[in-house]
Amino acid sequence: MKRKLAAIAAAAIFAVSAGSANAARDYVSVVGSSTVYPFATVVAEQFGKTTKFKTPKIESTGSGGGMKLFCSGIGIQHPDMTNSSRRIKKSEFDQCQANGVQDVVEVKIGYDGIVLANSKKTAPFQLTRKDIFLALAKDVPDPSGAEKLIPNPYKTWHDVNPSLPDTKIEVLGPPPTSGTRDAFVELAMEGGGKNFPWIKAMKKVDKKRYKAICHTVREDGAYIEAGENDNLIVQKLEANPNAVGIFGFSFLDQNSDFIQGSFIDGVEPTFEEIADGKYPVSRPLYFYVKKSHVDIIPGMEGFLEEFSSEKAWGEEGYLTDRGLIPMPDAERKQMHDDVKQLRPLEM
Amino acid sequence: MNNKTPDSSRQLIQKKLARRYRTEKWFRRLGAMAVLISIAFLGILLVTIVGKGSSAFQQTFVKLDIHFDAEVLDVKNLSRANYPGLVKSNLRSLFPEVKGRRDKKKLYNLVSNGAAFQLQDMVMGDTSIIGRTKSVWVPASDDVDLFFKGKISRDVVESNRRIKDIQLKWIDRLQTENRIEKRLNTTFFTAGDSRDPELAGIRGALSGTILTLIVTLALSFPIGVATAVYLEEFAPKNKWTDIIEVNINNLAAVPSIVFGLLGLAVYINFFGLPRSVPLVGGLVLTLMTLPTIIISGRAALKAVPPSIREAALGIGASRMQMVMHHVLPLAMPGMLTGTIIGMAQALGETAPLLTIGMVAFIVDIPGSFIDPATVMPVQIYLWADSPERAFVEKTSAAIMILLLFLISMNAVAVFLRKKFEKSW
Amino acid sequence: MSSSLLLIVLLVLTLVGYILGRRRAVAMAGVAGGSATLHSRPAYYGLLTALWCGLPTFVLFLIWQFTEPAIIKGLVVAGLPPEMQKLPANRLGLVFNEIRILTGGSLVSGTRDAVIQAAADHYLHLKNLGSWIRGGTLFVLGLGAISILCSRITTEMRARNRVEKISRMILLFCSTIAIFTTVGIILSVLFEALRFFQTIPLTDFLFGLKWSPQMAIRADQVGSSGAFGAVPVLAGTMMITAIAMSVAVPIGLMAAVYLSEYATKKVRTVAKPLLEILAGIPTVVYGFFAALTVAPFIRESGGLLGLDVSSESAIAAGLVMGIMIIPFVSSLSDDVIHAVPQAMRDASLGLGATHSETIRLVVLPAALPGIVGGVLLAVSRAIGETMIVVMAAGLSANLTANPLKAVTTVTVQIVTLLVGDQEFDSPKTLAAFALGLLLFVVTLILNVIALVVVRKYREQYE
Repeated sequence: MKRKLAAIAAAAIFAVSAGSANAARDYVSVVGSSTVYPFATVVAEQFGKTTKFKTPKIESTGSGGGMKLFCSGIGIQHPDMTNSSRRIKKSEFDQCQANGVQDVVEVKIGYDGIVLANSKKTAPFQLTRKDIFLALAKDVPDPSGAEKLIPNPYKTWHDVNPSLPDTKIEVLGPPPTSGTRDAFVELAMEGGGKNFPWIKAMKKVDKKRYKAICHTVREDGAYIEAGENDNLIVQKLEANPNAVGIFGFSFLDQNSDFIQGSFIDGVEPTFEEIADGKYPVSRPLYFYVKKSHVDIIPGMEGFLEEFSSEKAWGEEGYLTDRGLIPMPDAERKQMHDDVKQLRPLEM
Repeated sequence: MNNKTPDSSRQLIQKKLARRYRTEKWFRRLGAMAVLISIAFLGILLVTIVGKGSSAFQQTFVKLDIHFDAEVLDVKNLSRANYPGLVKSNLRSLFPEVKGRRDKKKLYNLVSNGAAFQLQDMVMGDTSIIGRTKSVWVPASDDVDLFFKGKISRDVVESNRRIKDIQLKWIDRLQTENRIEKRLNTTFFTAGDSRDPELAGIRGALSGTILTLIVTLALSFPIGVATAVYLEEFAPKNKWTDIIEVNINNLAAVPSIVFGLLGLAVYINFFGLPRSVPLVGGLVLTLMTLPTIIISGRAALKAVPPSIREAALGIGASRMQMVMHHVLPLAMPGMLTGTIIGMAQALGETAPLLTIGMVAFIVDIPGSFIDPATVMPVQIYLWADSPERAFVEKTSAAIMILLLFLISMNAVAVFLRKKFEKSW
Repeated sequence: MSSSLLLIVLLVLTLVGYILGRRRAVAMAGVAGGSATLHSRPAYYGLLTALWCGLPTFVLFLIWQFTEPAIIKGLVVAGLPPEMQKLPANRLGLVFNEIRILTGGSLVSGTRDAVIQAAADHYLHLKNLGSWIRGGTLFVLGLGAISILCSRITTEMRARNRVEKISRMILLFCSTIAIFTTVGIILSVLFEALRFFQTIPLTDFLFGLKWSPQMAIRADQVGSSGAFGAVPVLAGTMMITAIAMSVAVPIGLMAAVYLSEYATKKVRTVAKPLLEILAGIPTVVYGFFAALTVAPFIRESGGLLGLDVSSESAIAAGLVMGIMIIPFVSSLSDDVIHAVPQAMRDASLGLGATHSETIRLVVLPAALPGIVGGVLLAVSRAIGETMIVVMAAGLSANLTANPLKAVTTVTVQIVTLLVGDQEFDSPKTLAAFALGLLLFVVTLILNVIALVVVRKYREQYE
C-alpha cells in the first residue's frame, strides 16, 4: 500500500513538473475538416520525413470546429492553418478579423468527387440527377404533372424511373452536419430539381423556397444517415447489395473490387472524368493560412511550398494517388502564386 | 393430495422441496449460462480481431540492390538528395523492358514510399556507403503486401483488382528471384503514425496512451478514493451530501465529449496549457473517470460490515484510524474494480480528446507529458476511417495491442485485488 | 534546478522531516519517562512534521509554476526595443514564441536578428536564475517548517488530532473537485445553450416531436426543415438504453451471483478479469460487430418472421451495447455480493433456505445499494456511448416505439453536431450544447428518483 502510494506520488510529481513547463511550439499546427485530413496528412508526412523540421500536427476537428479554433486569434496557442471542405463563411471571416486574425490566405487544393456506389453483386446504376432528386427529395413534384409538391411517394428505383431496377430505395449517406452532404444536395439534387421548369423558374422569384425544395432530403427511412465512417458504408454496401452509398471518391478508388460507382448523367465516376469536369458531382477543398504566422512558426513556409508543389497536388502528384482530383493547370499555377505571395483573402 | 392425513403435509413439503431444489438447480444453471454467454461474446470479438489483425505483424519486403550513386548524393546537401530516384532507377534496371509513363508508374508502385526514407536514413547515418552498392530490403507497397497476404485475389477481373496483370508478372518474377518475402513487421512497433499503411506504427499512440493514463491514474485514483472515503465516512448525512451523491452519479452520465468541452475551456483556454498533449488528455480523462471510481468506492465502503467499524472504535481507535486501518483495506478490492473499469473506459475513449486536439495526425513519438500526442483508441478510430484498405489489418492489430495493454494493466489491479480480498 | 529534480529534493526533505519529527518525539518521551507519556504514537509526530514541510512547499511550488512564465515573459518583453513592445499583445506573443524557440535550439525558418537573439539569451538567463531562486526559497521554507515544528514537539502535543484534522481537510478538498466539475460543465454548456434558445424557442426544443437539423451549412443556402424537437432524440436514448440494460442487467447480475456464490475460487479468479476485458474493447470494434454481424442477422431473421427491419436498428445497437456494459454490472455487483457477511448466509442456510433462496432473499437485498450503483454506472455508460449507435443505429431521429427502426441518441447527436462542417455559431452546432444541458437535467432527475427508490427498498442488514 505504501509502496503504491509512493509510486503514485512519483507519477504525480512528473505530471505536475511537466505541466508547468508550457513549451514553445516548434511545429506547424493544422486543424479542420476530416475530408481534407487524408490529403493534408500525406503532405505533412512527406514534409516531415524529407526535411529537418518536425512533422506538422494535423487535427481532424470538422470544418466548423476548425474555423472556430483558427479564428480565435493570433499566437502559438492558436492553430496556423485550417482545412475546410467548404469556403470560409462571411460570419467566420468577420470573427477572424475581430479576433485579430487579419491576413487570412485562402488556398484551394483540388477537388473531391462525391460518388454514389453500390455492390458489384448487382448491376451499376445509370442515374440522372433528376432521378437522384426524385428518389431522395423530401417533397417531389406531383407525378401527374401538376405544378405542386407532394411528399415523396417513391418506394423503389423503378417508381422513379422505369429503366431502373425494381429494388427498394435505400441510400446510405452522410448526416446534415456534413460538408459532403451539403455538396451532394447542392450539386446532385439541386441539379436534378432544375429539370422541372417550374421549380427552376422559382429560383428567380422565391429563392428560399427553391432551395428548400431542392435541398431537403427525405426522412422516411429511404435515406439513411450513416455517420461519417465511409469504410463502414462500403462494408454495409457489400452486405446489402440493394443499398446505395454516398461517399468520397477515394473510398471508391480503394474498394473497386467490391463496389462500383453509379453513372450520373451517363458519366462514370472515374479519376479522369472527374478531373475533366465531366462528372457533375465534385466540390473544391480548401485550406486557410494565417499570414502572420508564416515566417515565425518553424517549417510553415516549407510546408506550404510542399503542399502547393506539382509533386504533391499536380496531375501526377502523390495526392492524386490518394484520390484528390487536381485543379486544371492554370488554376494550379494561380494558386501556387497565391501561396508564394500569401495574397490575403478579401470578403 | 386433498385428503387431510398427517402424511399429506409431509408430502406437500416434499413436493415443494423438490420444486425448490429444481429452482435451485435452474438458478445455478442460469448463473453459469450468464457467465458463459459473456465469455462467448468476448471469444467471438477476440477471434474476429485476431483473425483480422494477425497478418499485420508480418510485412512484405522487396530486395533491391541500390547503388548509392555519388552523383545523386551530394554530401553537402544529403537531406535534399533525390532518394526516390535511387529506388526508381533500381526498379528500372531490374525490369529494363518497362516503357511508357503509365507502366513505369505501376512499376514504382510496387515499392513503398518508405523505401526512399529508408535509404535517406541509411545515407545520413553512414555517409561511407556513398559510392557503393548494397542489397537493401525495402517495404513493398500496401497493395503488394495485401496481395502477398492473400487479401487480393488473382482470380478477380483485372479492372476490379488493385494489382494489375502486368504488376502480377513482375511480382512473380521477383518471387522466382527470391527478391520478395514476408518478414516480421518491426515497423509496426517502432514507428509513429503514417498515411502509408506499410509504414504506420503504433508506438506513438502507445506512448501517448501510457503518458495520458499515468496522469489519469495518478490523479483519479487518490482523489476518487479520498472523495469516496470523505463522503461515506466523514461527511455529515444531510441534504448536502444527498446533493453531492446525486451530483456525482449524474456526472457519470454526462457524455464524455462534454468533459472535452470543459477541458478545452478550463485547461487550455484558462490555464493556457498547450493543445494535443497527454497532460491535458489525462486531466480530462481524470474528470471523466472520477465518478466511476467514487461510485464504486462508495459502494465498496458501504459493503464493509458495521461490526468491523464498531470493533475498531470499541478498542479505542479514532475515526480516521478506523477508516485508514480497517475499513479502507477491506474496501480496496471494490475500489480497485472501479478503478479497473474507469481506466478501461479512459483507455477506450476518443470523444473527449477531440476538443482538446488529440484526434490528430502525429508522426513524432511523444517523449514527455507536453509533447503533442495521440492515444490508441484515437489511432484505431483514425485508421478505421482511412480509405486505404491495408489499414483494416492495422486497425485490428492496434486493437490487439490495446487489449494487451488493458489486460496487463488489469492483471496488476487483479493481483492487488486478490491481495486485499477477504471473506467474512 | 529542473522542476522534477526540485520535487524530488522536496520529497526527500519531507521524508527527513518525518524521521526528525519522530525521533524528536521519541527523545522527548524518553526524557519524560517512556513512550506511554506521549499523547500520540511517535509516527504521528513524524507525519505532522512531514505534512508541515510538504504541504506549503508543494502549494508554493504550484503557484510558482503558474506565475513564473508570465513574470519571465514580462521581463523579457520589457527588455525588447520599444517599437517591438508596442506590438499588440497577440503579436507580441508570437515574437515571444520565436524567442523561446530559439532558446530551445530547434530550427527556425528564416534568419533571426540580433535583437531576438539577445532576448533569447536574456530569457535563458532569467529562466535559470528563476529556477535557482525557486529551489532556494522552497528548500529554506521546508527546512524552516521542519525546525519550527521540531522545536515545538512536546509529549503533550496532540499530534494525532492535528494530523487527522489535516487529513480530513485534504479529503474534503478532494470531494469538492466533483462539485467544481459539475459547475464547470454547467457553465461550459449553459451559455451556448442560451444562445441556441435565442434562435429556437425553448418550448419547441422541449416538446417538439421532430428532430431534423437539415439547416443550411452556409448562409447563401436555405435549408428547410430545421426542426429541433428533442423528444425523438430523448426517446431514442431511452429505448437504446433500455435494450442495453435488458441485456446487461440479467446477464451481469446472474454472472455476478454465479461467480461470487457458486463458482470455485479458481473459476472466479479467471472469469472476472475476463469479463472486465469486455469493458475495455474499443467501441469501434463493437460498432463494426453491431453493424456488420448483428444488424444483418437481425434483419434476415426478422425478414423470415415477416417483420420489416430497417438496416439500422435500435435493437442491434442496444444488444451490442448491452454486451459492452456487462462488466459494469457484473464486476461491481460481484464485489458487493462478495462483501455481504458470511454470517447472514449461514443464518439463512441454517434456517433451511436453499442456496438460491438465500441469494434472492438475503444476499441480494443486502447488496442492493452497491448493485444499484453498478447498474446506474452501466446506464450512464449506455447513455454516453456514441460509436456503436452511429454505426449500427444511424443518425435518423425517428419517434417510434419499434426497436426494429433506426433511432438516434442524444450523445450521438451532440458529437455529430459538434464535429460537423457547419459554422460554429449556427443553431445546428449550438443545439449540441442545448442537448447536453437537457441530458444533464434528465439524468439528474433519474438519479434523484434512483436515490429515493434505493432509500426506500434498502435493507439495512445490521
